[in-house]
This record gives sequence, structure tokens and C-alpha cells, in this order.
Amino acid sequence: MTSSTPSSASPPSQVVYEAANLKREFDDGKVQALRGVDFSILAGEFVAITGPSGCGKTTLLQILGALIKPSSGSLLYRGNSLADLPDPSEYRAREIGFIFQSFHLLPTYTTLENVQMPMFEMGWSASERRDRAAELLKSVGLGHRLDQFPAKLSGGERQRVAIARSLANGCSVLLADEPTGNLDSENAERVMELLVNLHTDKHMTLVLITHDQGIAGTASRTLRMKDGRVLSDSALTTTLAAS
Amino acid sequence: MTFLTVVARGLIRRPVRTGLTLLGISIGIAAVVALVGISRGFESSWASGMKARGTDVVVSNLSSALTPKPFEDKVRERITPLPHVAATCTILVDLMGIESSSMMFVSAREWGGFSWENLKLTAGRMPKDAMEPVVILGRTAAEVLSKKIGDPIQIETRELTVAGIIDGGAIVEDGSVILSLPLLQEITGNQGKINIIDVRVTPGTTEAEVKTLCQEINKVVPEGKAMPAGDNIGNSQAYKFIRAMSWGTSLLAVLVGVLGVMNTMLMTVFERTQEICILLALGWKRSRIVRLILWESALLGFSGGVVGVIIGGIGVKLLEHTPAIRGLLEADLSPQLMLMSVLISLVVGVISGLYPAWRSSRLPPGQALHG
Ligand SMILES: Nc1ncnc2c1ncn2[C@@H]1O[C@H](COP(=O)(O)OP(=O)(O)OP(=O)(O)O)[C@@H](O)[C@H]1O
Ligand SMILES: [Mg+2]
Repeated sequence: MTSSTPSSASPPSQVVYEAANLKREFDDGKVQALRGVDFSILAGEFVAITGPSGCGKTTLLQILGALIKPSSGSLLYRGNSLADLPDPSEYRAREIGFIFQSFHLLPTYTTLENVQMPMFEMGWSASERRDRAAELLKSVGLGHRLDQFPAKLSGGERQRVAIARSLANGCSVLLADEPTGNLDSENAERVMELLVNLHTDKHMTLVLITHDQGIAGTASRTLRMKDGRVLSDSALTTTLAAS
Repeated sequence: MTFLTVVARGLIRRPVRTGLTLLGISIGIAAVVALVGISRGFESSWASGMKARGTDVVVSNLSSALTPKPFEDKVRERITPLPHVAATCTILVDLMGIESSSMMFVSAREWGGFSWENLKLTAGRMPKDAMEPVVILGRTAAEVLSKKIGDPIQIETRELTVAGIIDGGAIVEDGSVILSLPLLQEITGNQGKINIIDVRVTPGTTEAEVKTLCQEINKVVPEGKAMPAGDNIGNSQAYKFIRAMSWGTSLLAVLVGVLGVMNTMLMTVFERTQEICILLALGWKRSRIVRLILWESALLGFSGGVVGVIIGGIGVKLLEHTPAIRGLLEADLSPQLMLMSVLISLVVGVISGLYPAWRSSRLPPGQALHG
């Protein structure tokens, strides 16, 4: 799968994700993290996922990122079933970018090196990798921090490095799990501004988990979850209201 | 940043652990270099010693000890009539403690025999007759014993005098105390006993004829085994045993190194579980993770090999100069041995990394990424 094929396909490919009755159990069924989730996400949407702790948000995002597989149900990415991918790493390497609440930068590598990590699978030369990483770091306002190790950075700076890293592979979908959860309001605002710009300027599809109602409000759509189910979907509400 | 940078950074991040692991594997490799180098050196010292004595065929029994087993000097009478035999020279060689040196070659040669011919005097003179109570010292032996011409020297219970110092052209000769055969036989009470017969063949004898001669000698002399002087002494049982022992011991040391590397790599995989999961989430293929671990492990092995060869080489050189060993042998530190040692270490590194790499490839990417 490459990033060029899906976007060149016919209109139905506008649907990026299509989930039907997604379920996920842990510990041999003792924990039911997802109990049947249906939704579809269109290209260029900014979807906020909210809901109480333990309702299955992270689980859902990990399934979207092909880090774990659903126990049952189907999930299509641009028409192809994610569970049936022969090599999910290819999908992760080229189609999506991850952002985590706790940044998950690699401590023994500089910011510049962290951003280059995803590029190893892209077949670029070392200098191409370096230049692109520097460019991305500049674009998140960290052009002066290239050779710094993560431990020396503030939380906000770390998350901006993580954002640069998530964009390294030129993906079209960003999956973010509470990206501002560990940040003070000022830094949170800065990070959100970056993400929203990616959505509006670059038309990236953004799926973002948040506890912050204000942030959820900036999204084009909100999925509210509870107990492993989708409680409400603002897209459906608006469609219903419109009809 | 290249993939190799990523690999190297993985090792450098834990300098103490990496250093200790490296030391472990390098000690194993140093043992290979030292023990194998010494045992090979011993063999080649013998061989070059024979050449220096100007012999073509050596008859001796080296089956059970470091020095040949003695037999009657009458054995020689069965060899002289054989075709192509030009001359023979009987010798009694022993390793003895001489004054301050705990082990030294004492080489007693038939008076008037041809093995005196190649000794080049650098000082003093040769013995005047078979029973004159004097010895000739190889130059290294003279240094080790700190003797000069005219000094007394104690051989067993007899006090002899140093008459000459020679350049023998080979480490064994230079490290030897040389004297006349009847004199040593008398001193040690070994009348009529020898343990080596040097045989010189007539000029123009071909290599094949020398081989045939050896076979014929073996037929008539069951007391010893005839070997062309050029042949490696390593064919003898005792040396095969020494060689097997030195390989066995050093490979055991390498095995300890393997366990060290494997342990370190496993620890690395466990402590980097989260990091590996992050890399998987960033799109790294499992095969790349496996390669990362294998490369780290191989790099550890390779560096350990290089350090080990250096330690082993320096160690052997130092050992060669200790008074106890000086003049006895010259270790064979061939580039081939060093290359092979580094190669062994590299292979060891890769093998040690296999299991940890396999473990790393089975980490579920979602596991460590909550939040
Ligand atoms: N690997 C796992 N093994 C067992 N149970 C798990 C595992 N991952 C998640 N769970 C359980 O599944 C449920 C949903 O977890 P999930 O992490 O998706 O919640 P969440 O909505 O992201 O919560 P939070 O807002 O606190 O991050 C929880 O009850 C959690 O304990
Ligand atoms: Mg969560």
C-alpha cells in the first residue's frame, strides 16, 4: 500500500476509516474494552474522541493504528481491511503518524535523530533524512533545538518534536492520544494550534483523543464514548438535524 | 544519522555494561590468541630448531611428553646402513631447571656430530674434547642466566664452565644449553641413552625418497618415529593433545563470553521494550528491529574480538619475556590467527544475538504504548 494509490482512487476512497461492530477483549474476555463500535471517518476530518477513563479510547486508536487487532468486527482503511494486511508495519510506516500523551521520544537520540527514526523505512538517503527532519523541526518552531536531547526539553517542546516525528513519513492521517494531556494550558494551546493547522492547511485527517472539552470543541466532529461504545457522534447529530 | 549510528548508540548508552561485556568476550578471545599462539609457536620453534641443526630427518619418540622419550644409542646402527643416509648424529635433549631458570632446554650432542656445525660462535670457543667440563650457551640462554665466558654453571650436581656463546639461528637453539653428549650422559647417569637421532641424507635425495627413508626407518626402529625435518611436529600425539587442550580451554573462555553477550543483549531487549514498541509504532518492520539487535550484538562481538586480539598479543609478548619462558618459545601470532580470532568473536556476537533478537521480534507493538 502506498500513499498515492488511495488518494487517486474513486470517491468512495474519501472514506478513510470504516468501522463496523468493532470489538476488542483483553485477558480472555474478562475485559471488554470495545463492545461494538461503528463509525466512518472521511478524509480531511478532524475527529475528537472523548469519554471517561477506561471507556476504550486508546484501544480504539491502537486498532486504527494497526498496533493491535480487533477481536471481531471489521475496520477498513481506504477500502482495505486493516486486520488482513500482510504487513501492518508498511501501513504504519507510510500512511499514519502517531502522537502520544507521554511523547515517547527516544531518550538517547537528539531531536533531529528522533524525527529521522520513521524515515528509515522510506528508502531515503541519510542527507535527505537529515534535511527533511531539520525542516520539520523548524516548522514546529524548534529549528534551534536540533541537537538537543529530549531530557533537556520542556514538555511542550517534546510534544512538538513528537509532532514533527509523526509527520516524518509524509503521512495523511494523524492519530493522537491526548497530545496535550501532559502540558500546561499555554503549551497545550501551542500544540493544538500546530495540529489544527495541519488539519486546515494540509488537509490531514486528524483523530484525536482528549479529555478537554475546549479542544474537543475545535474539532470538526466529536465521538463520545462510554463503556466501549460510541455514545454520540456529532456528525450523525448534524446529519440528523439537517435531514 | 545512519542505521549504524542507531546501532552504535544502543551500545554506547550503557557504557559500563557494554564495557564489561566487551571485556568478557575479549578475555575469551585473548585466551584463544595466547593459548593457540603459544602452542603453535612451540611447534614451529621445534621445527625451526631442527632446521637449524641441519638435519633432514629426525627420529624421536614424542608421543607422551614435551621432550622425547629416551632410547638406546645403539638404535643408530640400524639406521646408518639404510639407503640415502649420509650421516647421523645422536642427541639427548631435556628440559631442566638450571640455576635461576626453572625450565631450559639442555641439548647434548654427539661429540663430532654434524649438529655442532651450524652453531656460530659469537664469543669464546667450542669444547676441546668430548669430556671437557664446559658448556656452550645459546645467546638467549646466556642472557637469561646472565652468564659470560668463564662463568661457572651448575648442571645437576656438576659445576661446568661456560666456554662459548653462540647464535643458533633458531629460538630453541638460542635458548639452549649445549654440551657434549657423553658429558651429559655421565652427569645424569644416562649412559648409552639418547632421545633424538638427526639424520642427514645424501645430496640429491628427493622429497619422495626422504619419505620412503622415513618409512624404512620406522620399520627398523620401533623405538621412535622418523619425520622429515620440514614436517610439522604437531603430528605427534603430545602436541595434538596440547593443541586440543589450548583450543578447548580457550573456547571455554569464549563460551563464557557468549553468555555475557547474550545476557547483555537480553537485558537490552527487556529494558528497551518500550522503545522497541515505539519504533514499531513508527513503522519499523520487525525485521529491522531484529537487525538492530543482531547488529548491536555483532558489533559487540567484533569490538570484543579486536580488543581481545590486542590483549592476547600483548599478553603473549610479555609472557615471552618472562624469565621462566624466555628462550623456550616464540608464540606464533600470525595475522591468520588474529583474523580468525576476530572472526570467531564476530560469529559469537551474532549467535549470541539470535535469541534476544527473536525475543525482540515478538514484542507486541501496542503493549508499551498506553498514554
Ligand atoms: N493490554 C490490556 N490488557 C488488559 N486490559 C486492557 C489492556 N488495554 C486496555 N485494557 C483495558 O481496556 C479498557 C479500556 O482501556 P483504554 O486504555 O482503551 O481506555 P481509555 O479510554 O484510553 O482510558 P484513559 O482515558 O484513562 O486513557 C480499560 O478497562 C483497560 O483496563
Ligand atoms: Mg487512553
